[in-house]
Amino acid sequence: MDGGKLTLVARKPCFGLPTACPKCLPAYIYLKFAKVPFDLDFNLLDPDSERIPYVESGGYVAYNNEKGGVIEGLKDDGVVDLDSRVEFEPDWLSANAVITSWLTDAVMYELWVASDESPVHKIYYSDLARPIGKIMFLKQSRAVKQLLGVNGDNADHREKEIYRRATRAYKALSSRLGDETFFFDSRPTSVDANFLAHALFTLQALPETSTLRSKLLEHTNVVSYAEKLRKAFVDPDPSSTSVPQPLSESSTSDPKSSHSSWSKRCF
Amino acid sequence: MDGGKLTLVARKPCFGLPTACPKCLPAYIYLKFAKVPFDLEFNLLDPDSEQIPYVESGEYVAYNNEKGGVIESLKDDGIVDLDSRVEFEPDWLSTNAMITSWLSDAVMYELWVATDESPVHKIYYSDLAWPIGKIMFLKQARAVKQLLGINGDNADRREKEIYRRATRAYKALSSRLGDETFFFDSRPTSVDANFLAHALFTLQALPETSTLRSKLLEHSNIISYAEKLRKEFVDPVPTSTLVPQPVSDSSSSDPKSNHSSWRSRPKSKPKKEKTEEEKTFRRRAKYFLGAQAVAILVFLTLMAGSDDNEVGLDEDDDFSYNY
Repeated sequence: MDGGKLTLVARKPCFGLPTACPKCLPAYIYLKFAKVPFDLDFNLLDPDSERIPYVESGGYVAYNNEKGGVIEGLKDDGVVDLDSRVEFEPDWLSANAVITSWLTDAVMYELWVASDESPVHKIYYSDLARPIGKIMFLKQSRAVKQLLGVNGDNADHREKEIYRRATRAYKALSSRLGDETFFFDSRPTSVDANFLAHALFTLQALPETSTLRSKLLEHTNVVSYAEKLRKAFVDPDPSSTSVPQPLSESSTSDPKSSHSSWSKRCF
Repeated sequence: MDGGKLTLVARKPCFGLPTACPKCLPAYIYLKFAKVPFDLEFNLLDPDSEQIPYVESGEYVAYNNEKGGVIESLKDDGIVDLDSRVEFEPDWLSTNAMITSWLSDAVMYELWVATDESPVHKIYYSDLAWPIGKIMFLKQARAVKQLLGINGDNADRREKEIYRRATRAYKALSSRLGDETFFFDSRPTSVDANFLAHALFTLQALPETSTLRSKLLEHSNIISYAEKLRKEFVDPVPTSTLVPQPVSDSSSSDPKSNHSSWRSRPKSKPKKEKTEEEKTFRRRAKYFLGAQAVAILVFLTLMAGSDDNEVGLDEDDDFSYNY
């Protein structure tokens, strides 16, 4: 790592989130928690790339699909490590496990299987020609079903189990959080990055009819946690518009376009 | 629930385990922990049934593929609940989640993807005709790869990630356990049932070359935990043979052969449906084999009739390994 500035390449903003893709948002929040300055670039044209999000700096890159992800990559490589004090605590690891397995599955389920195409389209495909976006959606939706083990026969059972697990995870996490600001050690760790990203995505990107969203809303301390940390770490400066507008694509479709201002897109 | 005795229908024993299937073993151990008397029956002929294991008693049935599984159903239905005192503890739940996601994934990976077919064959298919077992294995191995998100491009990375998570889970669990007898509350809960099943399966059914097994062996307190609980709750009464032999299939291939304590067919509904399915399956398997035989004859005919040796047989093979 050569000491240059970090750049996070993620998917575009939407729904009031700096990046609307649920895989990208944890990395963004993690860097914000660490108070590490970074540039944010958007990739608009590779919605099916497993490498995104990634963080790069000079010759160094940490891809989504290596070493367990961007956050784990940054930790392992000693670039940004928020977890050194807690990562050997069993309860920290198991909390991280439940967030990155049960809750991640629930979001994937709602996003790709249970809701209509609309959120997915806005996050991933709105910059592509519609037929291409449609084909990619069908392909990815099918891949997600396989990943979740959902097929024609067991769809109901699997859905029940997914929600059952998510509900219990929410209950357990709400109980563990209490009225603390962070989950562990009174400071942000990747557990907070992963969970805050999950909560913000669920509250802001999923529709009001979402089961997952209603279940999350039952836990007022979790909602307060999300509100507070969003204001402190995620929302843009008050000098910007109050509802952040997503970055528009430049007509050259250059993924590294670096607009400093926002313009209307998804709303 | 009518108060009658429970029956657990599971897959057969092997590798010194009372039931060798990693999905069945937690249910068995859970009932043992609860000291609830139950009969153990084996289903030998439906290796791909998602309903197994199941617990039944009279009219009541708790299937593997409903309500999050046998253990969760038994709890929900108030039949056997070991977790009532701990299930609202956040760390109990997250520990259970880690065992039933990260560690389950690792075992599935090793069993269906990373090792040869031998353990799988012994556990699931040894009572079926060989071609049928082979077809079922290929189908299930492919399903597991999909479940684990493994394809041709990312196989190495996924493997690394699976082992990375399992290694960390072992470390965390070893740290949490310390030298306690159980993980929580000084009494057995379903966390112990799930983890003990995982540990025993990993230690006894996976080969010595198994990565997962070597990583588990690094944690001596976990090995002691497994040893101790196995002796007390899992091992058969001392009069049995040291290594329980799997139930042999009788030469008549009569599934209802009357060994005194084991029976080998699922009861009522699952039995009827599966018999139909199995018949269809066998019929299809025969057609498949017939088609293969015809293809081979055609090939030989063509070979005899031409100088060109480059006929590809691969087109006839419905099951490709190109993931």
